Amino acid sequence: MKYITTIGEQQFEIEILDDNRVAVNGQVLKVDFESISRQPVYSLLVDGKSYEAYIYETDEGWEVLLQGTRYPVQVVDEREHRLRAAFGGGVVQSGDFHLKAPMPGLVVSVPVKEGQEVEAGDVLVILESMKMQNELKSPRAGTVSRVRVKSGDNVERGQTMLSVV
Amino acid sequence: MFNKVLIANRGEIAVRILRACRELGLETVAVFSEADRQALHVRYADEAYLLGPAPSRDSYLRGDKIIEIAKKSGAGAIHPGYGFLAERSDFAQAVLDAGLAFIGPKPSAIAAMGDKAVARATVAAAGVPVVPGTEGEGALSDEELLRLAPEIGFPLLIKATAGGGGKGMRVVQNLEEMPALLTAARREAEAAFGDGNVYLEKLVEGARHIEIQILADELGNVIHLGERECSIQRRHQKLLEEAPSPFVGDDEELRQRMGEVAVRAAKAVDYVNAGTIEFLVDAEKNFYFLEMNTRLQVEHPVTEAVTGVDIVKEQIRIARGRPLSLRQEDVRMDGWAIECRINAEDPYNNFMPSTGEIAHSLLPTGPGVRVDTGVYPGFVVSPYYDSLISKLIVHGSTRAEAILRMRRALEEYRIVGVRTNIPFHQNLMDSHRFMAGQFDTQFVEQRFSMEAADRGRKTLPEIAALMATLVAHQQTERSAHVIQRNERDTSNWKWVGRWERIHR
Repeated sequence: MKYITTIGEQQFEIEILDDNRVAVNGQVLKVDFESISRQPVYSLLVDGKSYEAYIYETDEGWEVLLQGTRYPVQVVDEREHRLRAAFGGGVVQSGDFHLKAPMPGLVVSVPVKEGQEVEAGDVLVILESMKMQNELKSPRAGTVSRVRVKSGDNVERGQTMLSVV
Repeated sequence: MFNKVLIANRGEIAVRILRACRELGLETVAVFSEADRQALHVRYADEAYLLGPAPSRDSYLRGDKIIEIAKKSGAGAIHPGYGFLAERSDFAQAVLDAGLAFIGPKPSAIAAMGDKAVARATVAAAGVPVVPGTEGEGALSDEELLRLAPEIGFPLLIKATAGGGGKGMRVVQNLEEMPALLTAARREAEAAFGDGNVYLEKLVEGARHIEIQILADELGNVIHLGERECSIQRRHQKLLEEAPSPFVGDDEELRQRMGEVAVRAAKAVDYVNAGTIEFLVDAEKNFYFLEMNTRLQVEHPVTEAVTGVDIVKEQIRIARGRPLSLRQEDVRMDGWAIECRINAEDPYNNFMPSTGEIAHSLLPTGPGVRVDTGVYPGFVVSPYYDSLISKLIVHGSTRAEAILRMRRALEEYRIVGVRTNIPFHQNLMDSHRFMAGQFDTQFVEQRFSMEAADRGRKTLPEIAALMATLVAHQQTERSAHVIQRNERDTSNWKWVGRWERIHR
């Protein structure tokens, strides 16, 4: 199986050959790859060198924490890559932004109203968790809609609080 | 004299105090909220009693219940730790009224230092320099504050009268933006302390936050254990502390002068037990009294590391009416210590708090490493309390050795289940300005970014790409080639196929 893996501007062609051989940009490497105790910690031995990393799946792809550096990584298999290229690249982003609670907490205030126009960076909700007040901001300009919380509400992690359309 | 101590706290500090009691042969009583039934302090203590539901006001802030439990369990003393009830003079008084010892200062000293206006007036009268501001002028209205602001000069700080820990605090650059910031500060102060009063204070630019640890016994002996540097902060929350301060360095004269002023400030309020005088120090080595923390500090271990004094044991000794175990001339600072606060916060996502179950944890050990923590694998980090999950402290013979040791320890540390700020500390350890000791209290917010730090170092994108691809490959289960042995795909056909390949 062949994958096209991207980190920022850099692209790697990675082919899984068998149990312990992979080809990175055509160069064959001997690898020994294991998950440690439980995901997401992984150990990689490659040509005698030992690496350990945290690897998380995110909404945008993968996130690798390796030796104190974070790498946002996109992995697509060859077929998907060809398909995307054929359709002019990239998935079309949905227009609506749904503000989800990044952690459980208490809604301190909602400084915006339904139907209000907001700019990128405007504060949408102030959420208190772990004794800190966190300002959750709009990633883009738009109109506030479907406000589902009010001050004093307790929210769960991942709960949608409002949308910007 | 007491032989049993109730610890009115949770988390790493409750465990820290329990350890001191154990070593002194004292029995221990833990208290806990419904969220902390499985917490380490409950597991380590001789006795443990439920306080109530998870929110602090229903549990760790229930002073009445805590005193009742102390009496019922036969504890003769209460140690408040830090936060919660530690700096509440009414609680300290209630403990004494119940006939118990309070392991901390007298209620009158807590009250004097807790009201910042009184604190400033008291230490100023004792000849200790203070920062210009409106503290001590009572609760002022927005109009009055706006009128006084230009006299103090910009930039300035809005601070909560009842505050601490950076809540209700705002930096004001000019008069135009001040009204909105006043509103925000009052709202935050009201939410955090139930008191929306604020005051103004001149922002000392390029200031370093350096504090002096003091110890005072009931016989009138007051000593200081040298300084701690706490300038690495974000939103006025300390993230890293070290002792000694790289700014004070070899200037023994400055160290002793600050120490003497701190002792004078403590004596001004008739202080007993452990306390900390916080100073702002400008580039010209002028220092100003900021506040006194009338309790054990989070960062006390760095002082313990360099002086060899067990501050918690000393606190208990003082509360038992005994003299300090050392005199000022016995205090020596040996080598260098650094503490990193490991918080459940994602440094790549604006330090957003992270909650969840600690699935896996591997603590750094080895020479010169100490970890104070209240969590373990299987413990759930809840949103009810602060995000501090552990303190990593290293000790080396020099600052350079301490930094290298901290780097090594941070590399070893593995916590899975919640995001932590360990990558932040790793980047900080690689920062040239940090290594050179060139930083002030604004450093993290104004001169440091995770992205820039990530860009500046030697990277391994190829290895990262390879590892992510292998995980993606595993996850999609398009093949069972690279997978942990005991997680192998059970498909017999695949096994047969592989068996045949091997034996071909």
